[in-house]
Amino acid sequence: MPFDNASDVPDDALLVLYANGDSMAARELAARHLPRTVGYAARMLGGDRAEAEDVAQEAMLRLWRIAPEWRQGEAKVATWLYRVVTNLCTDRLRSVRRRRAVGLEDAPEVADGAKSAEAELVDHDRMTALNEALDTLPDRQRQAVVLRHIEGFSNPEIAEVMDIGVEAVESLTARGKRALAAALAGRRAELGYEEGS
Amino acid sequence: MNDSDLDDLFAVAKRHKTAVSSDLMARVMADADLHMPRPVVPKRVVAPRVGVWSAIVTAIGGAGALAGLSTATLAGVWIGFAQPTAISAVTDVLWTDEAVYETVDVLPAFDDFLTEG
Repeated sequence: MPFDNASDVPDDALLVLYANGDSMAARELAARHLPRTVGYAARMLGGDRAEAEDVAQEAMLRLWRIAPEWRQGEAKVATWLYRVVTNLCTDRLRSVRRRRAVGLEDAPEVADGAKSAEAELVDHDRMTALNEALDTLPDRQRQAVVLRHIEGFSNPEIAEVMDIGVEAVESLTARGKRALAAALAGRRAELGYEEGS
Repeated sequence: MNDSDLDDLFAVAKRHKTAVSSDLMARVMADADLHMPRPVVPKRVVAPRVGVWSAIVTAIGGAGALAGLSTATLAGVWIGFAQPTAISAVTDVLWTDEAVYETVDVLPAFDDFLTEG
């Protein structure tokens, strides 16, 4: 293995290693980005896990193909991948407006440490409610809200992913968040949020 | 629902990492292996065998040079073996005996003027 600790190697360096014939670098890149891209694609596609996996696989495939031409320092691999996933999801949503009632709860999830069964249940309900509410948003608002508040991208990064200006991102996230709050307004108590909290 | 509640919901979503199935990982790695750029291995170029004659011909400058060299050799042999002849054979042709040499008296003699009479 040409690197001692893969977790310390930046994404673009891994991509260069892959372009030079290092399959371990590809495995590390996939391990880093595949879970997030699948989760993001699933949220964009209304929880369709199979479709989300296809999109993630296609995005990674495009990454492998572009690896020999990748210019270090010009773009971040994560931003580039999310942009590809966003475009693929948009294309699929445009061509087939399917909103199957397959929630993200069908997707296997990794539990975050040991938690009580009750807390797990509450989290599960909240996740389901959030995904259902996200599903009611227009595509662009949903993309902006998910990228900003769940995936943790900055506004300039989201602008790059969505190919729009930073001001447009701010507007989309603000409107999306308001719409989300409105969609969840009636479920506050059900989700365990006390009045006045 | 207020901002704080929403932030809590987002935090829950952040905590829940989507697991990747082994099948998907296998498909992605198969793609990676398929599209991995192969290092270019320089091919050993086998030089064509060169015969002795072609090497000689090449050394003296090709077929044209060989033809010129052959001609010069034959000419040298001919010159060496040919019966030598007097050089007069050439000069006789150029300056034949029939050549007429006329003399023109451009300054007549003074004899006539000197004759008394």
